[in-house]
Amino acid sequence: MTPLKTFLTLITLMASTTFSTAAPEYDFYICAKVNRDYVIGSKVETVNGVFQRTDEGAWVHQGYNDTTLTAVAFDPRDRNVIYTSANNGLWRSLDGGKHWRICNDWDMTEARHVAVDPNAPDHVYLSLPDGIAVSTDRAQTLVRRENGLPERGKYTQLVTIDRTQAGRAFAGCEVGIYLTENGADSWRRVLETTDIVNDIQQSPHDPDHWLATTQSAGAWSSRDGGLTWSPIEGVPRAHSLYNVTFDMTNPDRLAIGSWGLGVLTSEDGGKTWQDRNTGLPEPQRVWRVGVDPSGRLYASVHTQTLFYSDDFGRTWQPDTLKGSLVNYFVTMPKSKQ
Amino acid sequence: MKLTQLFAAMVTLTTAGTAIAQPAFDAAPPDRSVVQDAAIREAAYLARVNEVLNWRASGATVKTDDPGNLGLAAVACKLALGEDLEDCSLSVIEVMKDPGTGPFWMFPNVCVAFLGRDHLTDEAKAAIRETWRTTRQLRGDTENHWVMYYASLFLMSELYPNEPGESWYNGLTSEENLAESKAFLIDWMDMTTKIGQGEFNTTHYIGEYAIPMLFLASWSEDAEMKQRGKMMLDWLFAELANVTLNGVMRGPNSRTDEGSVIERWNALASYFSWILFGNTPPTKGYGGWGVYFATVAKNYQVPEVIYRLATDRGDDFVQRDRARIRRRWRYSEELSPPVHKTQYMRRDYAVGSTTGGQLDPIQAHAWDVTWDEPDPRGKHPTMFSLHPNSSSRAMQMSFTAYPEPWIKGVTNEGKPSYDSPDKIVGSSPFEQVFQDLDTVIALYDIPEGTRFPHINGFFSKDLVNLTEDQSGWIFAQGGRSYLAYRPLAGYHWIPYLHYTGGWAKEKLPVGGQLLTSPHLQNGTIVQAASVDEFASFEAFQDAIRALPLEFNLEPVPMVKMTTLRGKQVSFTYGEAPIVNDEAIDYAKWKLFEGPHLNAEIDGRKMTITHGRLQRVLDFNTLTISDAVK
Repeated sequence: MTPLKTFLTLITLMASTTFSTAAPEYDFYICAKVNRDYVIGSKVETVNGVFQRTDEGAWVHQGYNDTTLTAVAFDPRDRNVIYTSANNGLWRSLDGGKHWRICNDWDMTEARHVAVDPNAPDHVYLSLPDGIAVSTDRAQTLVRRENGLPERGKYTQLVTIDRTQAGRAFAGCEVGIYLTENGADSWRRVLETTDIVNDIQQSPHDPDHWLATTQSAGAWSSRDGGLTWSPIEGVPRAHSLYNVTFDMTNPDRLAIGSWGLGVLTSEDGGKTWQDRNTGLPEPQRVWRVGVDPSGRLYASVHTQTLFYSDDFGRTWQPDTLKGSLVNYFVTMPKSKQ
Repeated sequence: MKLTQLFAAMVTLTTAGTAIAQPAFDAAPPDRSVVQDAAIREAAYLARVNEVLNWRASGATVKTDDPGNLGLAAVACKLALGEDLEDCSLSVIEVMKDPGTGPFWMFPNVCVAFLGRDHLTDEAKAAIRETWRTTRQLRGDTENHWVMYYASLFLMSELYPNEPGESWYNGLTSEENLAESKAFLIDWMDMTTKIGQGEFNTTHYIGEYAIPMLFLASWSEDAEMKQRGKMMLDWLFAELANVTLNGVMRGPNSRTDEGSVIERWNALASYFSWILFGNTPPTKGYGGWGVYFATVAKNYQVPEVIYRLATDRGDDFVQRDRARIRRRWRYSEELSPPVHKTQYMRRDYAVGSTTGGQLDPIQAHAWDVTWDEPDPRGKHPTMFSLHPNSSSRAMQMSFTAYPEPWIKGVTNEGKPSYDSPDKIVGSSPFEQVFQDLDTVIALYDIPEGTRFPHINGFFSKDLVNLTEDQSGWIFAQGGRSYLAYRPLAGYHWIPYLHYTGGWAKEKLPVGGQLLTSPHLQNGTIVQAASVDEFASFEAFQDAIRALPLEFNLEPVPMVKMTTLRGKQVSFTYGEAPIVNDEAIDYAKWKLFEGPHLNAEIDGRKMTITHGRLQRVLDFNTLTISDAVK
């Protein structure tokens, strides 16, 4: 571990410790679609898009009503700068969601994910079904940066930024995980997979610890900052693994959301995994899992709604955002604004 | 045109103001004779246009306490006719309180905005404009969505120039929206005129291309876009004319539905044949979206060469074309693989095909033999087979959704039969097709474990004299066509059950049956001929039985035969077909090649020919050149 990484890890751990004994110092957001059976052309019947959870536990909608949001990201320097990825591409607001601008040209469409580099906050990464576009000016301009990605097989589900080093990021693509260490000037494959990589997450406790889930190629773990990856043997490959999450309050707690397996959790850092679906509707079709800053586990169940568990999956209760399908959970240091 | 036709047209024009019926839909099918006089043709065209406008404008009434009940289609028609303008404004204000999202909302909105420029109140116009600020419009995920979206955005940006980003839902200024939209539209036109459409020969979506192009041709202030719109209309309608027989679209479709595949006439494409060529009845409600075309149809009329292409048929002809498969994001070595199409058009029937394989992931139709019916309404004049492929992976190629909910999801999105074993719409990676004139050979090599491990052959309720012959051939007559269908493996019959609409939840019997053959290695041969070519149905059967035919199903299906037209044909699954000892080289095929339509790959130029008439659409120079040879 580099000195910088060690320092950041200590900061994170201190924050976690503080966090566990005081009010959360984080904001918690979701991207959710509430409108059922929406198809292009039909009227939007309900509010959809970005929701922030208040300290009282309510969900407050922010910005546009859009059924197609796949992710949201913020400028760490200014919470009023918001990015969302959606059907039309990349949307940006500079005023806390009052006004929005589409940032991509017509030849970028159906964006899968957006990420902001916390160490180079002007740099925005947009994941696309046909590659990756990057902005270095807060999405005023977007340029494709795909050097090193294959001509075919660059369907990119997401780009996850390494919080310890500017310009270091991982892309989850159709044929594997790709790494850039120069702000997407070039990419190289660090894991070959037989199917699409759906999610890549960095531990909030150890920045060298990464987890990835795939469509049909199992779950993977890296302990060396994403340079090498090993399959997680305790997680079956027979079903799609949509996403994975760490618990920022407890380094041993992990969760995976799966179509077919539902919620899988580990409480020993990934050595063993448990089925945590008792109390959730059947069949086990969990769209996403997330853990909020207090350690509450969420599971978004397809065609049902959002559920939460305060005992890490042993029991579940329906959340107040009825009928929602969550595409993305995100935790940010609490806004001072 | 006969005098009676002219009289009928004049009556329609003069009584337009009071008509509420849908006369052409209810009436006998139109006279198919070619209208030689251009003035009469134009009068008849305008009569049809007025029929649509009057029907839609008169079919709705305004309740004083509910002015919003008109709807945009009726408002557009009333604006085009210049009637009930005050109610139109009230209705627009009401409708704009609850705007929709996406291209299917945008282009009707644009239509009303432009037609209402001089008729709507300032308040109504402001209400329209406000929706373009407040409501996020989705671009969608298919070719027709994008064309509608950008044509609409382009025109609205022209209508409201020099306005800041804050006044548009997407934060771009009028000029930025104009540039963005124009860039997309030109790219789409380039691609279409160089390598073809991804959504080729669509039974319904042709409206989603033609209507935005007509709007551009009618309203754009940009001379280039106006000209491009007009040229694309000619391009689209020339292709439509060429793949229709008496106004009904034939052969393969990139996208269609259950209804149009069997009742071939029942498609928006037939509405366009009716309004442009007058040679088939319009569909119910003028195809729905077709109403918007009528509102500005007076700004466009097909040139004579296209009109004659649709209506004035002499010799049989073969057309060979190329198109492309819609964009594949993943699980494919190619982004947009080519599609090779063959169409053989005769007086009594048509045979059309692609080379099979995975086409559009949901709604494709790979091949058929269709026959003419004097009145096509309610008739199922078609014969074909398919593997009813249902695959989330196939859908994932072209869509970004996660695969697991997809199959169920798509059946809730207007494609109810997608996951039905007895469906009759869809393409399959396990089907390969070869056509030579009126012979079609479809071979199937379905892997073990494939969902729905069988093939379906469609046998219409309108076939007569259906005979299962001891030779293995199945003979039948459809209209004035003799048909022979040879299944290459064992089969059984089941009734055909039909989803009556895109959103239908239950299947109903509508007549007809399916030949279901539960064998992984499989095949179908179809031969067609006109009744005029044989002394009797028995003579046709004798001729078919006498054809030299060998086939094997293992290790892969193979057919070697002499066709009814005397060609020596050999076709093995996975190999290029061979005709008279020469392998077919699809790589050499042009974008369009035939007696009527010709275009080179990457040429951006189409030559349309009928008899001595010729029109050249040259997108390199944006010129339309007419000649009489």
